[in-house]
Amino acid sequence: MATRMKLKLKTVFVLYFMVSLMGLIYALMQLGQRCDCTEHNMPKDRTISRLRGELHRFQEQLRKSEATKQPQKQPAKPTIFVITPTYARLVQKAELTRLSQTFLNVPQLHWIVVEDSPHKTPLVTDLLVKSGLTHTHLHMPTAKDRKLQEGDPSWLKPRGVEQRNEGLRWLREDRRAQPGGDNQQGVVYFADDDNTYSLQIFEEMRSTERVSVWPVGLVGGMKYERPVVEGGKVVRFHTGWRPSRPFPMDMAGFAVSLKLILANQEACFDGDAPMGFLESSLLQGLVTMDELEPKADNCSKVLVWHTRTEKPKMKREEALQAQGLGSDRAVEV
Amino acid sequence: MPKRRDIVAIILIVLPWTLLITVWHQSAITPLLSTRKGKSGLRGDIVEVVRTEYVYSRPPPWSDVLPSIHVITPTYSRPVQKAELTRLANTLLHVPNLHWILVEDSQRTTTSVVRLLQETGLNYTHLNVETPRNYKVRGDTRDPRIPRGTIQRNLALRWLRETFSINSSQSGIVYFADDDNTYSLELFDEMRSTKKVSVWPVAFVGGLRYESPKVNKLGKVYGWKTVFDPRRPFAIDMAGFAVNLRLILSKPQAYFKLRGVKGGYQESSLLKELVTLSDLEPKAANCTKVLVWHTRTEKPVLVNEGKKGFTDSNVEI
Repeated sequence: MATRMKLKLKTVFVLYFMVSLMGLIYALMQLGQRCDCTEHNMPKDRTISRLRGELHRFQEQLRKSEATKQPQKQPAKPTIFVITPTYARLVQKAELTRLSQTFLNVPQLHWIVVEDSPHKTPLVTDLLVKSGLTHTHLHMPTAKDRKLQEGDPSWLKPRGVEQRNEGLRWLREDRRAQPGGDNQQGVVYFADDDNTYSLQIFEEMRSTERVSVWPVGLVGGMKYERPVVEGGKVVRFHTGWRPSRPFPMDMAGFAVSLKLILANQEACFDGDAPMGFLESSLLQGLVTMDELEPKADNCSKVLVWHTRTEKPKMKREEALQAQGLGSDRAVEV
Repeated sequence: MPKRRDIVAIILIVLPWTLLITVWHQSAITPLLSTRKGKSGLRGDIVEVVRTEYVYSRPPPWSDVLPSIHVITPTYSRPVQKAELTRLANTLLHVPNLHWILVEDSQRTTTSVVRLLQETGLNYTHLNVETPRNYKVRGDTRDPRIPRGTIQRNLALRWLRETFSINSSQSGIVYFADDDNTYSLELFDEMRSTKKVSVWPVAFVGGLRYESPKVNKLGKVYGWKTVFDPRRPFAIDMAGFAVNLRLILSKPQAYFKLRGVKGGYQESSLLKELVTLSDLEPKAANCTKVLVWHTRTEKPVLVNEGKKGFTDSNVEI
């Protein structure tokens, strides 16, 4: 009886062991495959499938719109080349961020950022890459004697001259290699990183043949400065400061056609020009007043503002730094 | 001898079952992990699609799945107002499922703001309420005891409570965005997953490069990294937190306190009615990245306007 029982037990054990082993193998095979039956994930799964559905829809829409766009793509919009000089200070990242967000709304825009620095900084490099914009990243340091020192008023020395000229130089070199030669379509605009631009101004300037002009808000100590237009032509300038300048406008108040820039290889900003004459130093060699093209509804609408950003107060930060407890430098601001 | 045999037998029985159970447990988790990864990867793809493919379609198409973000912006008339609202709108045009609640500090809605809102194409609600004279900031002095924009923000909260019922399945996030700050697009992505109240660092406030919540290793907020009165219940700037709409609706008495609020305590006056410190959700990589800057725009010097105004007042700036 005992041996029979032992035998029975043995077979039971063996069977048991075999069944367990098979179960183990089955489970191991399950591991390799994705399991569809996760009840506790229902809401997440639903979200995922909805998102996937939306993604498919968007992709289809895009494919459809691309298909219809193809035949119409021949007359391409002229590209707007925006040259922005920038320099490192506390608010730099914020300014470039919100500027890039404006530009991201404008089709056919090529952003040329020129840093006032002996080399490209990672802050600007990363920002440009993440922005999603078509861009060119350049750098050109300002000569020491031309640079504003701490405590200097902002109007003491002209700013951004070397950087804008570097932008022009690069543009000319880059465009030389493009088809079309000097007849290329395009517009060049000098956009400082602290101004505010509406989206309409970019559409206004796209049709520039030579040099187009428009009002600029909050500049020259006035609500706005603008060219005065009579009979579709600019006859004089409405400005509160030194109206006798050849072109008493702000940098943000005009755009130059690419053709004109390429046809006048030597035209650039003159850093030695007296205060307020920077714009004139470029435009003098390019165009006369009656050739200017007024935009923005015959220069009656303000579509760009010369805003300035306050320097953030750092008293507490400086106090902490004196104690060696300043904020973490690794955190980029 | 039988003892050893028994032990061997027991091991032989138990071992495969323990292995089986462990493996089964593992396999139950892996699909969970893979779907989670899949979700975030997918989400990353969706965000990419919206940003780069739909750059020129402004604003992005409304999604049925993303929670809406209700951005409450108080604004008041001054020379830079149109410029500020323009560049803020240019930013918001990239945010999917955004609802802009603009509240003017005025007796009635002004035509220039109405026109601006219409031209942007954004999904918006335009409200207005005038701050009574005795609450207004006098002249140029930035008196911190007089809270600016409070009445306007409260009106927006009331509008939300009147418009959305707590029973609706609509998910939403409420964010207070002043019109002169600078917001990165990543910030709106971060706040979308807010369950109660989420927080993150803000640059250029409190006289520092940035102020930020203190987050411990467990991912919980336990304090505030500020110099200016870090003992405030919520030592955070208006731009440094977002609230889930459901929380706003479930606590209908929670508003910003108007009277008797010390400088810097305005945010606390609302948040202490809504959450406790331990409920806060830190975002921006556990509050180590700066995604919003408290920029301030200089007041333009209008010396050349003179007494009578040099420029044509019909031209809107």
